[in-house]
This record gives sequence, C-alpha cells and structure tokens, in this order.
Amino acid sequence: MKFAIALFSAPHAPSSRRALRFAQAALAGGHEIVRLFFYQEGVHSASSNVVTPQDELDISGEWRDFVREQRLDGVVCIAAALRRGVLNAEESQRYDRPAANLDDPWALSGLGQLHEAAQVADRLVCFGGP
Amino acid sequence: MATLHVLSHSPFSDSRLSSCLRLLGANDGLLLSGDAVYALQPGSAQLRALEMMPDSIGLFALDEDLTARGISAAQRAQVVDYPGFVELSCRFDKVNSWL
Repeated sequence: MKFAIALFSAPHAPSSRRALRFAQAALAGGHEIVRLFFYQEGVHSASSNVVTPQDELDISGEWRDFVREQRLDGVVCIAAALRRGVLNAEESQRYDRPAANLDDPWALSGLGQLHEAAQVADRLVCFGGP
Repeated sequence: MATLHVLSHSPFSDSRLSSCLRLLGANDGLLLSGDAVYALQPGSAQLRALEMMPDSIGLFALDEDLTARGISAAQRAQVVDYPGFVELSCRFDKVNSWL
C-alpha cells in the first residue's frame, strides 16, 4: 500500500512522535511512503537548529535520520517554513537573512506537493494536534 | 466508504469526540490516540457514549498511549500497536484525523 503522510505539529508535540512511529511501522510492514509533507508547525521538524534536552527523545533528529536513511521524499511547505524562519541556503540568500537552517535531506516546496501525494497514494494519513 | 477516525485530543477539553460520534457511519472505526484515550476512563460519560455505539463500529486504542496514562482499555475497545495502526489504515478506505 502507498502512504502519504502529512505532519502539522512541531517536533516536541506527541503527535510528531506518533507520525514517526507510524511511518517506521509502515515501512517495516512492507508498505511504501510516497511522500512526507511537513506543514504548519511541522516545518520545525526539518530545522537543523533544534536542540532537544539530553533526557528527551530528539524527534527532529530522528525524522532527519529516518528520511535520509530510507531515502524518502521529505517535503517542507515553503510558505509555512519561511514565516517560521526555516530557510535553506537559497531562501536565506534571496531574503538576505544571516543563516540557513534547512539542509539535506529536506526539500522546500509548495502545497501542490501535498495535493499530488494525496492523488498518488492509496492513503493520506495526517498527524497533528497534541 | 468506511473511514477510520483518529482522535488525539482529550474528550474532557473539547467536543471533537461528540462531534465524531455524531458523524460515524455504520462501518467506520474510531482510533483513540494520545489524550483521546482518556475517553476510556472508567465511569465516565465518554466511555458510556462509546459503549453505546453499534457493534459494527470498531473501537481501537493505541497501546503506548494507554500505558503512558495508566488507563486500561475497556472490553469494547481493541488495543493496537503501531503495526496495528498501519493495518487499520489499510483496512479502512480512508483515514480522517481530527487535528
């Protein structure tokens, strides 16, 4: 089965952890993830500047490793990311900002990517809230 | 088209659960995750409402969220882990998360 997964919550929200565990279980079960779409507060999951206290799970780090190791299509909504200060080198240059905090394996793109993923996948599963 | 409804907000702080119960179709399923598992609190009106659902509606609860909150699932509910969650999302035609 082909899954598209959309995440609307920040990495410190329990729903971000649920999305990650769901995605891991989907792959372990032999399913395919056509795209992970990070929207609204979910864009913070892709920031390289998240520092998690040592006694807590580093969910944004786990997301990065998961997307990288499984070679997944991790798309971050560009409009949601810019307004929250999550920029790659290109956007940081375009808007004359002092730093970039979004790097591989993430891609900044538009909401159309969520729409397309929903068309291509058999199931769209959204995670957000608490 | 059978839909799996996924709740994660506490049923003691908003009306998502009651809205969802009104909308449930005869063959839909309801998965309680996060704080939504508090709906299984013994003696609560929320649990009574869940127990009044017809048998054709599957009621599920995520095991780690039950454990984290020290809640034991009522007989009506089936406890699932993450592979079980994935299986449910395949079994139902679509997944509707109450964000």
